[in-house]
Amino acid sequence: MSRLGTLWVCLVFGFMYLPIAMIALFSVNTSDVMAFPLTGVTGQWFAEILGDGRLGGGFLTTLAVAFPVALLTTLLGAAAALALSFYATRFRVLFAALLLLPFLVPRLILAVAQLILFKELGVSRSLLTVIAGQSVIILPFTTVIVASVLIRIDRRLIEAAADLGASGWSSFRRVVLPLMGNGLMAAWVIAFVLSSSEYVLTAFLSGRQQALSVLVASDFRFDLSPSLNALAVLIVLGNIALVVIAEAIRHRSGRLN
Amino acid sequence: MRPQSAGTWLALPVVAALGALCLAPLAILFAYSFFSVDFVTISHDPSLKNYARILQSETYRGLIARAFGSGLLVAAITAVIGYPVAWFLAKRAGAAKTMLLTLLLVPLYSGDLLRIFAWRVLLGAEGAINRSLIWLGAIDAPLQGLLFSPLATHIALTYNYLPFMVIGLWLAFESLDDAWLEAAADLGAPGRDRFRRVTLPLTAPGLIAGGLMVFVMVVGDYLTPQLLGGASGVTVISAINDLFGTAFDWPLGSAIAWTMLAILMLCFGAGAVLIRRSSLVAEGA
Repeated sequence: MSRLGTLWVCLVFGFMYLPIAMIALFSVNTSDVMAFPLTGVTGQWFAEILGDGRLGGGFLTTLAVAFPVALLTTLLGAAAALALSFYATRFRVLFAALLLLPFLVPRLILAVAQLILFKELGVSRSLLTVIAGQSVIILPFTTVIVASVLIRIDRRLIEAAADLGASGWSSFRRVVLPLMGNGLMAAWVIAFVLSSSEYVLTAFLSGRQQALSVLVASDFRFDLSPSLNALAVLIVLGNIALVVIAEAIRHRSGRLN
Repeated sequence: MRPQSAGTWLALPVVAALGALCLAPLAILFAYSFFSVDFVTISHDPSLKNYARILQSETYRGLIARAFGSGLLVAAITAVIGYPVAWFLAKRAGAAKTMLLTLLLVPLYSGDLLRIFAWRVLLGAEGAINRSLIWLGAIDAPLQGLLFSPLATHIALTYNYLPFMVIGLWLAFESLDDAWLEAAADLGAPGRDRFRRVTLPLTAPGLIAGGLMVFVMVVGDYLTPQLLGGASGVTVISAINDLFGTAFDWPLGSAIAWTMLAILMLCFGAGAVLIRRSSLVAEGA
């Protein structure tokens, strides 16, 4: 039973990593055609991507969106997680349902709805509208991440602080905040990654300045070049590095308590 | 500060943000669904015309039904694939658990676009699977049906959302006490009965929660059918997109969007009731 389970898990993880392995393989293959047999090793595709000024500009736009989105959603997510799991909040169930709503609504429907709202208000599309739109869909993720750290904090620490005469604010600042720090960092990283890879909302809400994901999508519709493999590998590696760091931070916080 | 008021003050900015950027847009969309298009302007006389059109149109009804059918299918497939994985992660993985969970989530963060791109490389007529099969002598000509078909769409959808199902099930398996299974075994229940009468009911909340997440995301997926489905890539979501773009019928688009939202909310409500009921069973066990 256990051996069969191991085999199945290996197969499923193989399935999860097969597409990624393929693009990695073809990103260093010399041939224009992405097919077997492999023809030789080259760094040509990476050089092409790194020398592409248009994609470089898109990358900077992505960063200009991802930094504020990550900061905003981490702060809001922390407030939401604290309200949900730490302090008694009125209308708790309703609040939790509201937080879940952006996750439940299909992205495209939310994007067109926001587009109508902005149009009615006379707000023109810009990076600010992208930041606002992305923040709403990333908020449920940061909330869950911060809450997963808060749940593990021992309540007795707060009771002890209160018994020793600490006010609500000082027990928050000196007990809760240090303990949730790792959760905040993990949430920031994950929000950054989610923001940089989001396509639908970015494409709908951006004006003239286009982020990397939008540029990649148009390239991908028109021509499938091996240099896209190289770009994909760079993005995946960057994201893996960030996610591994975030997960390491989050799990370290579990061990501290 | 009393904890009660602290919580309310913390919730306030979050509610304000969600109200402005999620509730308000959806409310305006709802209002638009009662308007109509008059040549190139939008007439603000409210009517139920758009909803009547959806009810009468076989195309839209078909697209809506197909979206929910796909959602159910992919939820079922991910449940079958994910169930043993979740069991293994919770009960057998031991020290490797954290690493395996992280590994499971990593492909999620590469973004929809890149994952779809990778499947295109794999499934195309000139793609890796076809070329390897030809190279190995298994087939003579490339299999044409692989890419730009419902098959390609559903493979990629399963790939995209499997981790969500596994996480939902894993949480349920984590809280499953092995003592129940031992007790059932001691009382002489064979493996099949132990699964059907102990494991399955106790992990049902996770199964429903995971299934609901996968279902919702498949129904709302825009890019995957669009980029991998070919002619089958026309979905109700892409129809909404067209109505807001080239077809310029925002009111009809809004009405279809709200029909989808209403059905999704019903499904979610039903799912929440089921989860509560099955958790009561799990607690009572």
